[in-house]
Amino acid sequence: MSDGDALLRAEGLCKRFGGVVAAQSIDFALRRGELRCVIGPNGAGKSTFFSLLCGIQRPDAGRIVFDGRDITRLKPFQRVRLGIGLTFQTNRAFHAMTVAENLETARRGGAAGDDVHFQTALASFGLAAQLERPASALPHHELQWLEICMALRRGPLLLLLDEPTAGMSPAETARTAEVLTALAADGLAIAVVEHDIAFVRQVAQTVTVLHQGAVFAEGSFAEVTARDDVRRIYLGHVHEAAA
Amino acid sequence: MPEAVSLLYQFGTNAAFLLLSALGLIVILGMMNIINLAHGEFMMLGAYAATASVQRGVPFPLAVLIAAVAVGLFGVVIERLIVRRFYGRELGALVVTWGISLILGQGALLLFGPFMPPIAIPGGAVALGDYSFSVYWLFLIVLCGVLLAALAFVYRATRFGLQARAAMQNARMARALGIRVDRIYMATFALGAALAGLSGALLAPTTSIAPFMGQQFVAPAFITVVVGGGASVIGGALGSSGLLSLVQTPVAFLFGTFSGTLALLLTALVVIRLLPGGVSSIGRYFTRRSLAAAR
Amino acid sequence: MSVAAASRAAPRGSGLARLLNGPHDIGRTPGAWAVLAAGLASFLVYPHWATAFQATNVAYYLLNIPMALGLSLLWGYGGVLSFGQVAFFAVAGYVYGIVAGNLPDAPWGTWLGVVSGLGASAALAAVFGYFIFYARVAAWIVPILTLVLALLLSTFLGLTAGSMWTVGQVPLGGYNGMTGIPALQVGTLTFQDYAFYYLTVGVVVLCYIGLRAWVNAHRGQVLMAIREDTLRTELLGYDVRREQLRAFVLAATLAGVSGLLYVQWGNYITPSVTGLQQAALPVVWVAVGGRDSLLAVAICTFLLNQLSYVLSSAGNQYALVIIGALLVAVMMFAPEGIVVTLARRTWRRRR
Repeated sequence: MSDGDALLRAEGLCKRFGGVVAAQSIDFALRRGELRCVIGPNGAGKSTFFSLLCGIQRPDAGRIVFDGRDITRLKPFQRVRLGIGLTFQTNRAFHAMTVAENLETARRGGAAGDDVHFQTALASFGLAAQLERPASALPHHELQWLEICMALRRGPLLLLLDEPTAGMSPAETARTAEVLTALAADGLAIAVVEHDIAFVRQVAQTVTVLHQGAVFAEGSFAEVTARDDVRRIYLGHVHEAAA
Repeated sequence: MPEAVSLLYQFGTNAAFLLLSALGLIVILGMMNIINLAHGEFMMLGAYAATASVQRGVPFPLAVLIAAVAVGLFGVVIERLIVRRFYGRELGALVVTWGISLILGQGALLLFGPFMPPIAIPGGAVALGDYSFSVYWLFLIVLCGVLLAALAFVYRATRFGLQARAAMQNARMARALGIRVDRIYMATFALGAALAGLSGALLAPTTSIAPFMGQQFVAPAFITVVVGGGASVIGGALGSSGLLSLVQTPVAFLFGTFSGTLALLLTALVVIRLLPGGVSSIGRYFTRRSLAAAR
Repeated sequence: MSVAAASRAAPRGSGLARLLNGPHDIGRTPGAWAVLAAGLASFLVYPHWATAFQATNVAYYLLNIPMALGLSLLWGYGGVLSFGQVAFFAVAGYVYGIVAGNLPDAPWGTWLGVVSGLGASAALAAVFGYFIFYARVAAWIVPILTLVLALLLSTFLGLTAGSMWTVGQVPLGGYNGMTGIPALQVGTLTFQDYAFYYLTVGVVVLCYIGLRAWVNAHRGQVLMAIREDTLRTELLGYDVRREQLRAFVLAATLAGVSGLLYVQWGNYITPSVTGLQQAALPVVWVAVGGRDSLLAVAICTFLLNQLSYVLSSAGNQYALVIIGALLVAVMMFAPEGIVVTLARRTWRRRR
């Protein structure tokens, strides 16, 4: 893959917490319209990588380029304003507000881009009919979907999702995967940090495997999961967890 | 030479005053994440208890201990009745303890009247060149060191200290391990209150004793706490009072007491801008590094 | 189509009326509005039966409402607690006194005083708030540092006795304070007695309506979003530091409005207005009323000021004990505030 047309490029990202190395030299590139899953066993550095991308943490070394701009030193809200939308592992919609107020708060966070992806997501997730409901009345999976819609509200170029299907039923997970795949097919770049292998199998064109704070493997889902070393560090771990 | 000693003495007294003013507050904040706004009034109670004891013929050192124990017990009552309902609600705790401070200040005025006879400063003075130094303040400076060492011992080497640190770092986990977090909090609040009472009694001879005397400790104590941060009790207290005294001493010497206090506030603003976690966050950073390196 | 639907989600109606009837204050039923209108009407006709002295007293109970509303915005809606609102109150009062007192003959002298008084409060809040909010300090640090600010200001003003602290021809007056502060003037009308009463009622109503619209408008929603989840709000593209600083400056300016009304009332100001005991009072009014309802705070501020006035003019030494006990009791047993709890019970309406 050529990095020249990458929308997001991370080079040599390092992050230490005290003496614990959470990320050591992560290189990562994402093209426009690409849907990428970032997987890895617990402690592989997925969360650190995510927080480095959205700016909650600053890297000790390395840089991040987004849409041709170096965003390494930018604060989270500045990155969002440049066109990155993101959601968290946990439900963090504003429970005291209605669905519409949540979306309105998301819309006015900065200059708005094209909202075609937002419209697609709102319709596909079936939230358009529930605008007047308080967010606290939505079930868990719809709150997750609401958060995805909020992240898309201002028409970002890149969507960063941290375990978007955590706590969802298989049917809900499949629906999420379907919508995200459609959005990527429409040209949206999406990076998903994920645990759920069923979800990853369904959506991913390319999978990046993190291990011990570095990129361990990268390739198609079939390629990556066929590798013995990947199975050992990651899939073996899943078996243990399942057992 | 005597000038240098005099300056050092000034530095020491200022640092000791800040440290004594803030110590009880820092203990409660660091261990429980609660700010006790009635802290100044707890110190006032300590001064009153010591004065009342001295008036009845109790020797001063014993009077100081009585004050510490009495205010510590009072702290237990306040904690059981009121403060324990506010764990995890830091702003609520601030407001409710402010209500307590209003009641205590005015209550002391109503119960004891506006005046309390002063306690004479024990110990006299030593002279060096043209300068004379109060033996009592020299004693207080040394005592600050002793208090910090004692606190360090309690936290590092006793069962209570271990459990308190566990409860501070992760209350739920500590509870799951069978530590009675509730008791730890009560004891910590009592310890903080007792330290406030002790400080109030120790500082009583150096100031005039009145119902609203607690107010004079509010600015120095709270600035010391803000600059220290909540990350480490002993490191924060020591670093903060040292740093602040370093700023305050020359400013107060050149421009007067008020400017010295104003310099404290400005220092606090600059310190939080650079280190939002206070000076103790530096200490914690290094501790964590060395812990990790040792692993 | 769904974009239109999304923006339609706010309460129906248009402009100010829609904002006023937004969900973020108590009293949204037609009945509640009728009670409010009746209340306002009775304030407007009250001077008809009252002496100028009585009307001035009622104005005194009202004049702290802007400061209390500002604290309600900051604490109840924004989750940022300040113990130092009285500092901004005092700054506005003193600066007004200095400017207006030095321009006794200029027809616009008092109005320049108003502008500079409010400007000084806002500027102090902007500088002080910059250090606090841009440092992103822990929540407990803001009330502590604002309290220290108020106390130091009080100490400083107490030291300003003597001729070296005379600004132009106005002595700051040290512990005894500044006296003979001129009242606002328009042409031949001086805002004293009844005119001062109506001025106060007008300012209070404007502040309330403006803030009620503000909390239901976008900026207010963002403030509440920050209170609920700071990081989430930032990651929607908001500069949290800037939003909090904006609210802090607005609240300080409102405290300044109260300070200006206060110096109109008594034509004097002393350092004790920013002392420890006064600093506690706005927190008491807001907590006892119900910090996340502007209306409850306004009502409670009026009633408690009346209570304090009655208590202190009766020479009651227990005033501070009663106020402190009220604060402790409310925080323990009605943390939503007394007025809010009563109102919700009466209207039986969920927000």
